[in-house]
Amino acid sequence: MITLLKNGKLYDPAHNKDGVVEDIYIRNGHIIAKPISAEKINQTFDLTGKVVMAGAIDMHSHIGGGKVNIARMMLPEFQETRGYSEPEAHICTPNCSHNATPNTTDTGFRYIEMGYTAAFEPAIMPINARQAHLEMADTPMIDKGGYAMLGNDDYFLRLLSSGADQKAINDYVAWTLHATQAIGIKVVNPGGISAFKFNQRRLNLDENNVHYQVTPRDILKSLSRAVNELGIAKPLHVHCNNLGAAGNFQTTLDTMGASDGLPMHLTHVQFHSYGTEGDKKFSSAAAQIAEALNKNKHITADVGQILFGQTVTTSGDSMMQHLNARHANPKKSVIMDIECDAGCGVVPFKYRDQNYVNALQWAIGLELFLSVEDPWRIFLTTDHPNGAPFTSYPHLIRLLMDKSFRNEAFAKLNLDAQAMSNLTSLNREYSLYEIAIMTRAGAAKLIGLNNCGHLGAGAQADITVYTDNPDREAMFAKPDYVFKNGELVVKDGKVVKVVWGATHVVKPAFDIAVEVDLKKYFDKYHTIQLDNYKINNNEIHDNGRGKIVTHSKGE
Amino acid sequence: MKNISLKSNQCIATCPACGLLCDDILLENNQNVIKVMANGCAKSIPFFEQKLNDATPRIAGEPATLAQALARAAQILKQAQQPLFTGLSTDVAGFRAIYNLAQKTSGIHQQNMQHMNAASTARNIRVLQSTGWQTTTLTEVKNRADVIVCIGSDIVSHNPRFFERFVDVDGMFISAKNRQLIVLGESKNNGVIKSDALEAAWILPCRADDLPSVTIALRALVAGKPLKATEVAGIKVSDLQSVADKLKAAKYAVLAWVSKDFDYPHAELTIQNITETVAILNQTTRAAGLALGGSDGDTSANNANTWLSGFALNNDTIEHDCVVWVNSFNAEKLPPNTDKPLIVLGNTNCQFETTPDVFIPTAKPGLDCSGTLFRVDSSVILPLKKLRENNLPTLSEVVSGIEALL
Ligand SMILES: [Zn+2]
Ligand SMILES: [Zn+2]
Repeated sequence: MITLLKNGKLYDPAHNKDGVVEDIYIRNGHIIAKPISAEKINQTFDLTGKVVMAGAIDMHSHIGGGKVNIARMMLPEFQETRGYSEPEAHICTPNCSHNATPNTTDTGFRYIEMGYTAAFEPAIMPINARQAHLEMADTPMIDKGGYAMLGNDDYFLRLLSSGADQKAINDYVAWTLHATQAIGIKVVNPGGISAFKFNQRRLNLDENNVHYQVTPRDILKSLSRAVNELGIAKPLHVHCNNLGAAGNFQTTLDTMGASDGLPMHLTHVQFHSYGTEGDKKFSSAAAQIAEALNKNKHITADVGQILFGQTVTTSGDSMMQHLNARHANPKKSVIMDIECDAGCGVVPFKYRDQNYVNALQWAIGLELFLSVEDPWRIFLTTDHPNGAPFTSYPHLIRLLMDKSFRNEAFAKLNLDAQAMSNLTSLNREYSLYEIAIMTRAGAAKLIGLNNCGHLGAGAQADITVYTDNPDREAMFAKPDYVFKNGELVVKDGKVVKVVWGATHVVKPAFDIAVEVDLKKYFDKYHTIQLDNYKINNNEIHDNGRGKIVTHSKGE
Repeated sequence: MKNISLKSNQCIATCPACGLLCDDILLENNQNVIKVMANGCAKSIPFFEQKLNDATPRIAGEPATLAQALARAAQILKQAQQPLFTGLSTDVAGFRAIYNLAQKTSGIHQQNMQHMNAASTARNIRVLQSTGWQTTTLTEVKNRADVIVCIGSDIVSHNPRFFERFVDVDGMFISAKNRQLIVLGESKNNGVIKSDALEAAWILPCRADDLPSVTIALRALVAGKPLKATEVAGIKVSDLQSVADKLKAAKYAVLAWVSKDFDYPHAELTIQNITETVAILNQTTRAAGLALGGSDGDTSANNANTWLSGFALNNDTIEHDCVVWVNSFNAEKLPPNTDKPLIVLGNTNCQFETTPDVFIPTAKPGLDCSGTLFRVDSSVILPLKKLRENNLPTLSEVVSGIEALL
């Protein structure tokens, strides 16, 4: 059975194809080289004039796990927005919900309708990983995976403060990746979530956690080295200290130097690019951050763009979210300390274009996008749902690709904020090719998904087909076709077939002797058995609906 | 669990009988009869040692084949416009199956789903949805809590091993002997549970319906607002002041409650007094709330419903023309009295007051089949084991059998 996608204009940065007209052949869910002429073509789609890209990959989106479910539970009023049309968001389809906390079915549907075929939960708390996978198992249409959070767990901090050697750290990190079925490691406010449990309220890069007497820098050094030495593709995913605080850009700049040149990914940098200039002591430091990103080739970043409207911030950063809770809108929040493992803070926010800080946050995100030169090292995210729901991506893409549209939006902002931003002096407009890098090829490369994010032979046939439309928001909101593993699943922006995606993981080798000490620790301090902490493959297989894809570097 | 060597007929299992989900229960299986050998409690022993019993489905009380029972259940559901799915005592997979069945059979109506613990769960959910809260989980309690206040009861009638596992043990940052335990409310233990902490506890007795005034007084005192009264519901204000002082001096105070104990109108306000007390404490020191209790898969049902639908399970009174009662774990929980057609899916040991129109016995997760369950703090999710041979279908299997006939 061969499907032929004929005559499409391919934007495939992994193969340097920038609008090249070419045919694509699909067999058994994969893209294949042009078959010999004797082979029968079963199905042909004429894509003449259409824009063809690999399925998009969201490398940072809170789609599963405790925090998101707490947000859903706390905010029933969000669900009542089902069917309403918010100007910022995508083009609505019947039964559409594009609130900040969609249920799992809506999550899968909204993603695939926009041509996204994979999304990665960036904050899996190891102790809560089973819930994250249960939720992702109930998320149809897309592939998924997640990054396990370390660096605030007492086991790791005990290792680090007792001067354990790097091998012990590496084994523990690898063991965690296996136990949680994750594809990467994340650290949130390194050391700070733990410090908050000891009543520290802020933690700077070179400040000690009062109990463990280790600094965030020590933690970053140790974890980035572990990730690097284990040979997994995804660099350490770093949510810096001082989230959202005015003046935090210096922490962010310093953090770039904390790994001694080893790769690190700084997430939602928009929330970490704030200066203290001006009357309101809150300013854009996007230029400094972008300059540093341009210079530090070992650093990648995603933006975490905010867009105006109602959303909810769900973060592992209980320390900073406890501070932010006073800005909650509606006025409620959940702050949790969790299992000597991590924490969380869920705080609803309404970003307003007439609010000085919010307006500037919006501008800072765009300044970052437009000032970071290499699209392979910057990624398109809203840190769903923290900056905005992922359904606003088409709108964000238009802001990046259409200068006059962007400047018109800018002109409506709070005037004081306008005065503090250089956005209108940035003339860059992203090309389709650059969008394809940010949302496909770059994301796949970053995470180490060897068969996704490109259109070459051997790729998983996750393919999105758009009608070229100068209104880029309309174009990216509603693809003509989306193919998932070679099957047509979306036609004219609507799901025509329900499918279930795979879970992407890494399983680097480690010394199983790590369990000897872990078992002692669990028996003494934890409240569950070590064996029950580990998620086995059958749980993900879920009677055949789920599937595990294990990646290794350079496979 | 210390390294013990298990005999070939022994295993360590996870107990679904209360929200603590103790996963250190030592069991022995002799000719398919389970016996709890260690770490059992008043809830886990009856659960694990319940009989397999007759697995025959029944239609109006008469024995039937599974196929006949499935057909009759499907027929009732096809005739119904608005079925009510209630009980909902099952694990995550079972809930997911029932949720899908509810979606398929509710037509144009919002699906009707109500857990048997809906009333007590709703008390907590109302607080979550009005102000939110600052809470903790059991491993944090074990390792950090230096002052623990149990509000409403001494917990053990709901979670028998709470003190044994999390309080009477040394933690990473606190030793057992340095913890202070205060009980504000009724002591229901009657000496059954042996606990050092409970024995040494400072108990300030009050009745359940006095808790609204006691908790609001404590909240005011923690906030530094003096009270004019010298006594609240029989408790001296000077004693409450002393509780407030201990909380403020604590490094990590935990205020625990079981919403089932607050069985009076507007109980959410009592819970809110507790959680707002925590919020005030967190301005200067560290403190956290801890909602305990939990049973019959309520935390699992609520979480799964939330991610599947976007909404927490609610406690609304619901119009319905047929009842599907799902009860896996505890045979003593009985379906509501109803004059509507009644389908029962669940525990083989139930003695019904009204004969169901259809009764299909199903496997009990954690005993007759494997499963997955949420602990009461929602953060920990544990696998359940199949422990004995049986030919009971799982709830998912029964539901897909019904769905195939719709
Ligand atoms: Zn919509
Ligand atoms: Zn995030």
